[in-house]
Formats: sequence, structure tokens, C-alpha cells
Amino acid sequence: MANCRPQSATPNNMKIRYHKVPGVFLLDKQLATKGEALYGERTFDGYRLWNPRRSKLAALLTKQAQVPLAPEQIVLYLGAASGTTVSHLANIVSLVYAVEFAPRVARDLVRLSERVTNIVPLISDAAHPDYGPVVELVDLLYQDIAQPRQAEIAVKNAELFLKPRGYACIIIKARSIDVTEKPRTVYKREVKKLEELFDIEYVHELEPFYKAHAAVIARLA
Amino acid sequence: MAHIKTWFGDIELHNDEIARSQVLKADIDAMAQRLQQEDFADFDKECRGRLREIAIKLQVVSSEREYVSLLRAVMIQSAKQRIVAAFAQPDARIIQLIDGIDDIDESINLLSERLSEWCLLTSETSMPEDLLEAFASSPSAQSPLAQEFAGSISRLCELRQQLANAIELEMRTTAPNLSTLAGELLGARLIARAGGLEPLARMPASRIQVIGASKALFRHLKYGTKPPKHGVIFQHPLVRGSHPNNRGKIARTLAAKIAIAARLDFYSKKVYPELLSQVEKRFGELQTAERNPEQHEDKIP
Repeated sequence: MANCRPQSATPNNMKIRYHKVPGVFLLDKQLATKGEALYGERTFDGYRLWNPRRSKLAALLTKQAQVPLAPEQIVLYLGAASGTTVSHLANIVSLVYAVEFAPRVARDLVRLSERVTNIVPLISDAAHPDYGPVVELVDLLYQDIAQPRQAEIAVKNAELFLKPRGYACIIIKARSIDVTEKPRTVYKREVKKLEELFDIEYVHELEPFYKAHAAVIARLA
Repeated sequence: MAHIKTWFGDIELHNDEIARSQVLKADIDAMAQRLQQEDFADFDKECRGRLREIAIKLQVVSSEREYVSLLRAVMIQSAKQRIVAAFAQPDARIIQLIDGIDDIDESINLLSERLSEWCLLTSETSMPEDLLEAFASSPSAQSPLAQEFAGSISRLCELRQQLANAIELEMRTTAPNLSTLAGELLGARLIARAGGLEPLARMPASRIQVIGASKALFRHLKYGTKPPKHGVIFQHPLVRGSHPNNRGKIARTLAAKIAIAARLDFYSKKVYPELLSQVEKRFGELQTAERNPEQHEDKIP
């Protein structure tokens, strides 16, 4: 992170444009959100650069895919890890419930949520949700957990917490479901499991930023 | 009529109206405490959608904004408690200790190589096995710098011994069966690789057998090479000490018994010392079979 020295001023020749998704910006061709730097990322004039190689959501947005994000949304985020993506998502939406199980990275997540007022940290296993008394109905379920049973986990959480016709954005890591199978075969099989509960809008591969990863955008049927 | 238990209190709803309620008001510690201690059942989506509204009606908070800030404060508190609890587990300590030993081993190797290079400056023969002993009698020992360097290595060796002792102690209390069967260090290594005693206890024996051989395992799954016979359990004297033809068999037996031992340790704490002798018996059978191959004609095509 030594070379991510924050810079304050926008270089004169840099063009700031809006991304299709409100709250997301393009500085020249680099993705950014508005806010103060939280994990050592570069900032320009209050815009935080968002590296698509460090965040699958950034990769998806860089590929110009239409992602159902909106300023008033409440998001349930499964697999928050140390909160890199969560910190940007919190700039875009109104509230993020961030679930992470591993205590090591969860420490960073808690530190982050002490600084950002719209992140609620939940140290729990998404496979056995015990945050029932805490989480309200959400507009978007975002899942980035590398688990063989991730589709079942998404279904379970959507049944409990997702608003009727709410959206889900599910990142599938083919390699943690079946290493021997071709990634596309794995995506198909996982999508089939999700179809039990969701209408699938589209499936987008995250190459070249992530190998054997795909994002599924779906809507509660 | 619906009874819901939320983070701010118990509420009874009757025809969408709040019939009875018992809430905690703005007491962050008490709320976090309650979340740790009590059991909560799931409730339906309709009530879930009204959480903010109910909290405001019951005057737990005065606005939606305040709802979020109170909830956040409670959950940060509760998250901190959970993290502390997770790190206070004995297996978290064991993992730390075994990783420490691995780091020290790496450092000792690196520094020892440097020291033996150093000695080559003054002696023309290469250094024998026991480096530190040989160093003491070599001409390089005259140099105070080299002496200091060698001293660091021997201090690391002492520290390694202390860590090993600490692991033995921890393992004896947290995983007695696993310690007896696999040895404290190997047992600790298995716990570390699995990510804790519980994950190890939930693992099938076939996976325990190849913990630490993931490269070979995935090469096997992907390209159809021969499957690995053993991972870290190769360090066990019964596996290492058996004939190469038998290693796969004894590794399989040992892994199966390790799985049982880990489950005993995690779920029941009962001590069952026969596990090791069962593996030893199998070891003996395989040894005899190896010495008298004619008795096992089915092996010869």
C-alpha cells in the first residue's frame, strides 16, 4: 500500500463522468465513489478510486454491467471480509449489514464500521444466520462467499431477509464449488439452484479481473 | 398473534397492533449482552419490514436515523465481544503456536545456511550436520560478530523448544485423544490446517489423510495423476516407518482413527486410549504381510 499515496487535487486533464449506476463515478476510465479514503486507496478531490482487482463488485461495474444499486437501498452483504467492497458500497447505498465469520478479518471490518456510520457489522456464519433479530428487510442481497454450498446459503438468506421482488447479486467462485468441472458448467448448475427462488436477470463473467468467477443478478420471484 | 424477539426487546403483536412489549432502551451494553445470551427464533417478513416503525412506536428510538445509529453501536459492541471470544479459544492459541514454530524453523534454516557460509571463509571443509557444535571449534568462532550470530540461532532453538512445550501442554488439555494418537505437534498441525478443532472433527477421514497434500490432490482430480497417500500425517512414525508399499494403507487407518479422536476430543471429551494400539496392530499386520508375501497370493496377479 506504500505506493497508494493519497493525492488531493484532481489533475487538470482528468475527466469525471457518471457511471450508469448512481453514486458511482468514472475518473477517466477508473471507477470511483465519493467519500474519504478508508483503506489506503488513492483519492482525487473526494473521489475514492475503486480497484476492480480488489473488489468483485468493482469488476462487475467496470464491465459496465447494469447493477441494481440505488441510493436509498438497504443491503445485506454476506462475506464482507475486511470490508474493502463494503466501504465503497456504503458510499452508494443508505445502509449495509455486513456479515463476516472469520474473526481475523472481521477485526478490520469492525474498525471500518466504527468510522463509517452506515455499516452494521455482524460476526456470524451466513450458513447459519443468527442475525434474525437484527437485520430488517433488505432491498439487495449481495453475496461473495467462496463456499461449495453458496447457492443454498443465498436462498436461505433471501427467504429470511429479502423484500418481495428484491434483488440479489451473487458472486460465484467456480473453483470453490468444483475444481474439476469447467467454470461455465458450474455457473449453470448454481444458477439452476438459484432459479428455485429467483428470476435470473443475467450472469456476467468477471474475466479478466477474476478467473473462474461470475456474478449472477437475480430478482426474488 | 405473533411473538417476535428483536435486538431491542420482546414484542407481542395482535392484529398488527403492539399488544405487549418489553424493551431495553438505549442501553448498549445490555442489548449486546442479551444478543449473546438468549435464543432467538426467526420471525416472518411482515414483522421484519416493520422493525424500525415498531422501535419508534415503543420509543426505543425517536427517528429512523437514531434507529440505525443505536443498532450500529450495539452491533459493534457485540461484534467485538464475539471476536474476543473467538480468539480466546484454545485452538486459536494452538494455531498461533504451531505457526510460530514453523516461522522459527524457517528462520533457523536460513540463518544456519548463512552461518555455514560464514565458516567457509576460514575453513576449507564444508560444515557437518550439527552446525552449532562444529562452529564452536572452528576458527570462525574467534570473531565476536560470528559468535553473536551463532548465539541468535541457538536462542531461536531454545525458543522453539519452549513453543513446543507450550503446544504439548495445550494439546494435552484441549485434545487428549488426538495428542495420544498423533502426537502433540502433529495433532496441533492438523488442527491448524483444518482451521480449528471443530472443523477437524467435522472432516471426513479421507480428507484428513491428505491434509497438506493439496497440490498433489488437485493434480490428481484435475489431470488424473496418482492420488496422494498422505499429507502431513506422513510425519507420524507409524506412517514414515512403514514400508513404502504399506504407507497408503497405514495412512488410511491412521486418518480414520484421527477423525475419531478429533470427534471424541471436540464433542465428548472422553478419553479412549485404545486408538493408538489399534493403529499399531494394523501396522504389525502389514509388516508381517510384507515379510511373508506368499501368504497373500491375491496380491500377485
